Amino acid sequence: MIVMNGFFIAGAIVCAVALLVAVIATAIRRHPDDWALVGAIATEVFLIVYGIAAAIRQAGGKAVAGDPIEFWGYFITALIMPPIAFFWAVSEKSRWSNAVLAASSLVTFVMLFRMEQIWQ
Amino acid sequence: MSQKPRNSRILQAAEAKKSAAGPKPSRTTGLGRVIIAVYGILALAATVRAVYQIVSKFDEAPEAYVLSLISGLIYFVATFSLSSAKPHAWLVSLWAVSIELAGVLVVGTLSLTHPEIFAHPSVWSGFGEGYGYIPLVLPIVGLWWLYRNRSERHS
Repeated sequence: MIVMNGFFIAGAIVCAVALLVAVIATAIRRHPDDWALVGAIATEVFLIVYGIAAAIRQAGGKAVAGDPIEFWGYFITALIMPPIAFFWAVSEKSRWSNAVLAASSLVTFVMLFRMEQIWQ
Repeated sequence: MSQKPRNSRILQAAEAKKSAAGPKPSRTTGLGRVIIAVYGILALAATVRAVYQIVSKFDEAPEAYVLSLISGLIYFVATFSLSSAKPHAWLVSLWAVSIELAGVLVVGTLSLTHPEIFAHPSVWSGFGEGYGYIPLVLPIVGLWWLYRNRSERHS
């Protein structure tokens, strides 16, 4: 539980920083900002680590409190979003690419929050 | 940045006609990307959740879950038609977005006046409160965006 809470805090920070950078980039840049793209990569890396940790814990016999199918449904949905946002942002050079990245970070956080609720 | 001439509808219409052959219509660029992205996220979230509900607990509330699935699929239609350069995509988008607005208003109202029908959550119950009211706001934004890009209607 404590480990996953640590994960949740780390994930919340990663998502929050990525969101903040992308929002600022939307305001001041007219092209996809490098750091906003790094934010999407960071959220994706975090999700992969989170997923591996969750898989190890579940394989070790510690079931989630909620429905595991729901948990992994959220996980997979969250996992495919940052890459789509990333490649879509790269494919158009406008300020709104940053807004797409911001939306992706925000949704990743909501997904993480829901996964954490199911977990406990 | 886009080369779109902002104040000439004739030039815009000409450009839209040209773009039907290949390049993307202006509704898919700039702010349109954000709108399409949010539609895509909502489509994914609503559909995945509805499939999960139908697979795991269909008996509890078949109507609500089927409604959720249908709304998710309509969000997918809107996502693809908004981003499509095909001739009738604008019109398809108008229909999809309008159905969404009607759906969220009707189901949202019914879920308040007849809560027993919507004891189980669907995307549209409570005017989309389970999804941060995005299902209510998004179709309005979508209609405004389609109106702004109405020159693409006949492209």
